[in-house]
Amino acid sequence: MRLLRTGLGAVPLSDLEGMAWPAIPTPLASRMLSLQQQLAHSQWWPQAELRRWQFRQIAPLVEHAFRTVPFYGERLAAAGYRPGQEITEEFWRRLPLLSRVEVRSAGAAIRSTALPQQHGATSETSTSGSSGTPIKVTKSAAEQTLWSSFALREELWHRRDWSAKVAVIRGAGNATTGQRFPSWGPPLAGIFATGPVSAFEIRSDLARQAEWLRSENPDYLLTFGTNVVFLCQEFRARGWSLPRLREVRTIGEVIEPETRRLCREVWGAGIIDTYSCEEAGYLAFQCPGRTHYHVQMEGVLLEVLDERGNDAAPGESGRVVVTTLHNFAMPFLRYDLGDIAEVGEPCACGRGLQVLTRMVGRARDMVRLPTGEKRFVWQSTAKLAEIEPILRYQVAQTALDELEVRLVAARPLTPAEEDAFRAAVIANLGYEFRFRFVYRDEIPRAAGGKYFVFRSELETPAPG
Amino acid sequence: MTALRAIAYHGLTVKGASDLARPPIPHTAFAKVAWPALPTGFAAQLLALLHQLEQSQWWPAERHARLQFRQLGRLLAHAFAWVPFHRERLAAAGYRPGMEVTPELWSRLPVIARKEMQSLGDALVSPQLPKEHGALLTDSTSGSTGVPLRIAKSDHVQTIWAAITLREALWHHRDMRLKLGALKRDPEGLSFAPAGRAHADWSAPFATVFPTGPATLLDSRSTTAEQAAWLLREKPAYFIAFPTLVRDVARYFLERGLSLPSLKGVNTRGEPVDPELRELCRRAFGAEVADMYSANEVGYAALQCPEAEHFHVQSESALVEVLDGSGRPCVPGEIGAVVVTPLHNFAMPMLRYALGDLAEVGAPCPCGRGLPVLKRILGRARDTLALPSGSRRYARIDMKALQEVPGIVQFQVVQKTLHEIEMRLVTRRTLDADDEAKLRAEVKKSLGDHLAVVLTYHDEIPRAPSGKYFDFVSEIPA
Repeated sequence: MRLLRTGLGAVPLSDLEGMAWPAIPTPLASRMLSLQQQLAHSQWWPQAELRRWQFRQIAPLVEHAFRTVPFYGERLAAAGYRPGQEITEEFWRRLPLLSRVEVRSAGAAIRSTALPQQHGATSETSTSGSSGTPIKVTKSAAEQTLWSSFALREELWHRRDWSAKVAVIRGAGNATTGQRFPSWGPPLAGIFATGPVSAFEIRSDLARQAEWLRSENPDYLLTFGTNVVFLCQEFRARGWSLPRLREVRTIGEVIEPETRRLCREVWGAGIIDTYSCEEAGYLAFQCPGRTHYHVQMEGVLLEVLDERGNDAAPGESGRVVVTTLHNFAMPFLRYDLGDIAEVGEPCACGRGLQVLTRMVGRARDMVRLPTGEKRFVWQSTAKLAEIEPILRYQVAQTALDELEVRLVAARPLTPAEEDAFRAAVIANLGYEFRFRFVYRDEIPRAAGGKYFVFRSELETPAPG
Repeated sequence: MTALRAIAYHGLTVKGASDLARPPIPHTAFAKVAWPALPTGFAAQLLALLHQLEQSQWWPAERHARLQFRQLGRLLAHAFAWVPFHRERLAAAGYRPGMEVTPELWSRLPVIARKEMQSLGDALVSPQLPKEHGALLTDSTSGSTGVPLRIAKSDHVQTIWAAITLREALWHHRDMRLKLGALKRDPEGLSFAPAGRAHADWSAPFATVFPTGPATLLDSRSTTAEQAAWLLREKPAYFIAFPTLVRDVARYFLERGLSLPSLKGVNTRGEPVDPELRELCRRAFGAEVADMYSANEVGYAALQCPEAEHFHVQSESALVEVLDGSGRPCVPGEIGAVVVTPLHNFAMPMLRYALGDLAEVGAPCPCGRGLPVLKRILGRARDTLALPSGSRRYARIDMKALQEVPGIVQFQVVQKTLHEIEMRLVTRRTLDADDEAKLRAEVKKSLGDHLAVVLTYHDEIPRAPSGKYFDFVSEIPA
């Protein structure tokens, strides 16, 4: 027997009466599975071939950007672009990097004036990303379909038991009692049968989160990376455990080896991390059975560039520059994400997808309230993105009841803008802090390249 | 060395890239999205099915059986509710609506013989079809006996058929960008020799999902010389035809020293394939035969393994049983009657339908697929030799020996009575007494000394109405 058998796969839900198996899924689920059919094969292609196909997909994207996105019309013309030309590696390297500040400043000029109708309706999200520059991102329905298909791939890679119970702690749900949902939600639930989900608000007091989590006793936990650290420390201090927990899934922040060790020690479970961003969706998933990451090359061209702008070699680190292959509503061409990543050697698993061994990006401390509560800072950026002059921000807790807002800005905020900023932060943190606005030319990164969107500078900082 | 990159893929294991047939990039339905393709409608549905099939092929046989019985539960409930013929039989076997279908219950259900099926007419057709299953299609089977059998199917049955058609092409690593040449009867009558008929693509379901190269069709009602000329002119990469047609044209190539370097594979169906034909294709074309076992009324029963000459039952589409004379399942090495239950035909449920073919059960395949193995498909049970004892045995004529008599263009061996064989011959020259004696001796050696062999000469031995051709035919009913 040349095959190692490890278990059984799931049968999708059938949309057809009488058809238990093989399932005939709904049209949307069929599209998702038809993408899965392709992704299941392309993951094994040699990396050079994946890259060739990336450029084949980039060609219509660049032409579309040239014709319908004013910002790129100029930029591509300056790089010598002619419609219909092949996109070569040489041409690509001539294209300047796109910074967050440029995206923020370009506004409508970086959005397409003519999205192909088939790509569906657009939706908007916002992010302050890894470097505190709030931007808004427009996406099409087609792009969302691909995003969902990668989420499904991640599920398949990690062979989760979809009938099990998941606890989610992130920025949704009800702060005091939690919420229950009958299924794991889209995209999984439209395609396969799943178990229930319990959700809790991440901006709530850490002690309450821990109590809730303990009472839920889930099979899987999904939360932000640093929140795992906070929760593990809380559980350890109280001598609690999560006896059913099989795996912790993390998003949002860098996972240090120490976090994995702590999680293993306190909960007896491993961490499966996901590297994603609002602007480009899923960038890399943890390899099944390993702690490094595979770039989702079918959705994003991810470059790791050294200081001279050359591709970093295995073992080297560089800035992460991404090109979303399918967002025709707001193309990101060579977008400097603000993260640092280390390139890995090709993976022994056989997948041709690029390997990243570690990332350095966004970090955050906990906030401590004068009431004694400790909270994860989950910053909703939509309101901040609307405050026009802000190019970059950092919020620091300088005293129990005081926050210092550090801004790199095109001009000082008006009193009304300051009020809007204040209101947004208070809504997130749940306490009427005193605010001090200061203006800087630059906000430096912390040791190791981390950028703290929220920084605790209390003498006895909260854990994390 | 084959890379042993076994990778867990959602709890089941697939092989590494080097072992997997690599499907092309599907058509995309979205402007400017080239890769990964975003297919829509029927193409997306087929790829969703293909994705399931790519995984389920590695499942253990027990899991297939479990899911088959789950699907049979739905089918039986429907058959019981809508088809009186089945209701009676199911009730007699102890089935009641809502009951779980177990292998024990299943084994109590009587087999429907082909002859019975023919006499049933429309009695198996369900007056009601779940509406999502699409339109009701009717079709009639090959009728190799000349008695056509009317078959009702739903659109949905055709969808499963299409998905397995794609699986077959991918299993055998067929490069769909190349040219396909099909030799078959064209019901529209537009593909006659010498020109045949050119198609821009491989047509459905291939072209529905993937970009393909062109195809060419030649009506099989053409001479071997015309067929050879067509192949030489069209230079297809793949050649689809009934095995006996392939045999004739391959011999034609060998006898004349012709070659067809473009050919990468020969794809057969409809008649039994023997090791001689495989060897003949290697010699004549340098190409391997990929055979499949299907029947119009039941769809795909089995496909040749990509790594061996035996067959894998298409468990996702049909429950295929091989039963011995007393109705018990055969074990590996035993030959029995093929009994098929299509899992998705709610338009005309066929529960335990004995196709009339014989097959030998095989041991599990080293390729790792959990789909049950048929070692050989021996063809029609009625074309077995009837013995004076009342039993029958598989009749096989040693083709190699026949070739030692030069000038034979075509032959067919027909059992007229228990003791009499007619050997029909089409020859290029008059055979002498020595030749005739040699042929008689060969037939006796293959079939038995008790038989009298009469030789008859013909201008042509016609094919069955379906276009199929059988080397051995017994006129004694099985």
